[in-house]
Amino acid sequence: MHILIVEDEAGLANELSYFLSQEHYKCDWASNGREASEKIAVNLYDFILLDLGLPDYEGLDLLKETRALDHDPAVIILTARGSLEDRIHGLGLGADDYLPKPFSLLELQARMQAVLRRKFKLKSSVAAFHGFELDSSARRVSHQGREITLTKKEFDILHYLLLHKNRILTRLQLTEHIWGNVLEDDYDSNYIDVHIKNLRKKLSAYAPTDWLETVRGVGYRLTV
Amino acid sequence: MRLQTKLALFSAASKIVILLLLVLGLPTIVNKVALLNADLRLLQKEERMYQIIEEQGIASFITGETGDAYGSYNLFREEFISLEEISSGKVVNSIENSLRKVENEVVNYRVLSSTFDLGGKRYLLEIGRSLATIEHNSEQLQKYALIFLAAVVLLTVFTDLAFSKILLRPLTLIVKRLQRVEHPSAFTPKQLNTTTSDFLYLNNTINAMMGQIQEAFQKEKEFIGNVSHELLTPVSILQTRLENMLADPATPESQLEKLVDNLRTLHRLKNIIQSLLLVSRIENEQYLRNEVVDIPHLAREVAEEIRDRAEVRDISLHTDLTGDFKLLKANQSLLFTMLFNVVNNAIKYNQPQGSITVKGQPTAKGYELAVCDTGVGIPEEQLSTIFSRFKRLHAPDGESHGLGLTIVKTIANFHGIELSVQSVVGQGTTFRFQFKQAA
Repeated sequence: MHILIVEDEAGLANELSYFLSQEHYKCDWASNGREASEKIAVNLYDFILLDLGLPDYEGLDLLKETRALDHDPAVIILTARGSLEDRIHGLGLGADDYLPKPFSLLELQARMQAVLRRKFKLKSSVAAFHGFELDSSARRVSHQGREITLTKKEFDILHYLLLHKNRILTRLQLTEHIWGNVLEDDYDSNYIDVHIKNLRKKLSAYAPTDWLETVRGVGYRLTV
Repeated sequence: MRLQTKLALFSAASKIVILLLLVLGLPTIVNKVALLNADLRLLQKEERMYQIIEEQGIASFITGETGDAYGSYNLFREEFISLEEISSGKVVNSIENSLRKVENEVVNYRVLSSTFDLGGKRYLLEIGRSLATIEHNSEQLQKYALIFLAAVVLLTVFTDLAFSKILLRPLTLIVKRLQRVEHPSAFTPKQLNTTTSDFLYLNNTINAMMGQIQEAFQKEKEFIGNVSHELLTPVSILQTRLENMLADPATPESQLEKLVDNLRTLHRLKNIIQSLLLVSRIENEQYLRNEVVDIPHLAREVAEEIRDRAEVRDISLHTDLTGDFKLLKANQSLLFTMLFNVVNNAIKYNQPQGSITVKGQPTAKGYELAVCDTGVGIPEEQLSTIFSRFKRLHAPDGESHGLGLTIVKTIANFHGIELSVQSVVGQGTTFRFQFKQAA
């Protein structure tokens, strides 16, 4: 999977590039609009992460250019300006998603996977782990064919842990993922602990859940 | 009341007052004038009588046949003249009202009495005019005067009305233009076609001030955009860097907890920036109100979204929503944030085994939503400041930045929702939202 990161902040581009390389993506970086425009015209990218606030180029123009390409790469807009017009324009011009800065790398990866799934119409949305099966499009979890009833939040947490399997997820990252749409005064990690406790209780009725680890003082990890 | 109506009413009222004064005062004045006129005519007649007596001699009136007196009156007894010889030495010279008996009928006359000496004798001349005749004349005069005055008053009222309407037309136009503008940003300056300099000045001033407001809004918008970019970019870099370190297998386990702490602190910073930006953006009118939001439905949605949290804290969350209300011109996600924050506060500051009720019912003007909790309550002296920025009442975990209720208040204002709080310390707090349809 070939990705172009269009981002004028070298610091952020480096971190993005490092993270995505770890996830086995092949990354290119363009630090300004002109460079991005050239790279888009020459290379066949599958994915473009586009910062709208470029010094030399109207980010939305770049979006138009990518939309004119034959191979139709997926585009996620990343911006710290986050004005409403940008969002409407961006999605109206055919961006596949929009992620306001600052964002969690895990959230970015989850969004990228969702976009790819949608865009390239991946058939199977079912992931198997330790005898359990999770169907992300039907939002169902089962164990050897027997369905397990989870609340919306419990499902979201399990899904996110599975998506980032073998990686420690902090309570904050989980909180931001499941409550991300509301801006609150503060956050209380206690809620996540209770959800995890309930999740373990429900799942352990079918099979042991030692794969859902608590990393003391840090967070949780789903090991496969 | 509109200026034009006021002017018309004032003009009509002042003229009616003038008319009334005239109606009341006119009879007295006209009577007086008529009486003066009558007196003048009596004096003229007296003059003529003396002339006749001088020319023809007293004998033409008083002869042996007539005795020592002469009298004459016309057919309808409207006037009389009498001349008699008197013995008394009293000199009389007056004009008075007096009753006279003429052919067995008592008639009220205006009488001029005058004595004169001639040939060693003293005579008394009396000329009278009946008061009925005088009053009749004065009544006629009054009638015509009143008709004329009423006509003049009516005419001036109508011309005043028409003229003030024409004169005030530019003002009406300015008011209409302003009424159409919901927000200064939607204002387009227009020229006014009038010769009245006051209105020109008013219109130009409004245009200029609106221009300044628009400019300030635009500048603020740019400023918010720049602040947003400049503050959030470094936060963004830090967050991704910390996350990468957290995921790096080479990071020693002892460092992981510190990284998590850093991420928490960073999250706090991010949250403050985003909350401030949200408030500024709402105040800068950057959000649209183009959705129709079903308020009871939204309240149920918020309750469902947050129910987990209440259960974790062992707090029962009830909804009691009756009736139906749709807020036109609303922003769904902002209203969601508003209610979510209030219910979330109700959970956070509740007592163990407490309860929260989200009550909704239609009111005469629209809809009322109340979030009642059995929490710790807010002391009365703090109630007035809870919506101010960075006012933290009680932060059990020490990480609340106190912008939650500011956001709630800002969103409520943005939608014209009236927000009030009642609280009893130790018993609970009620947040009340009064929704009414914007015109």
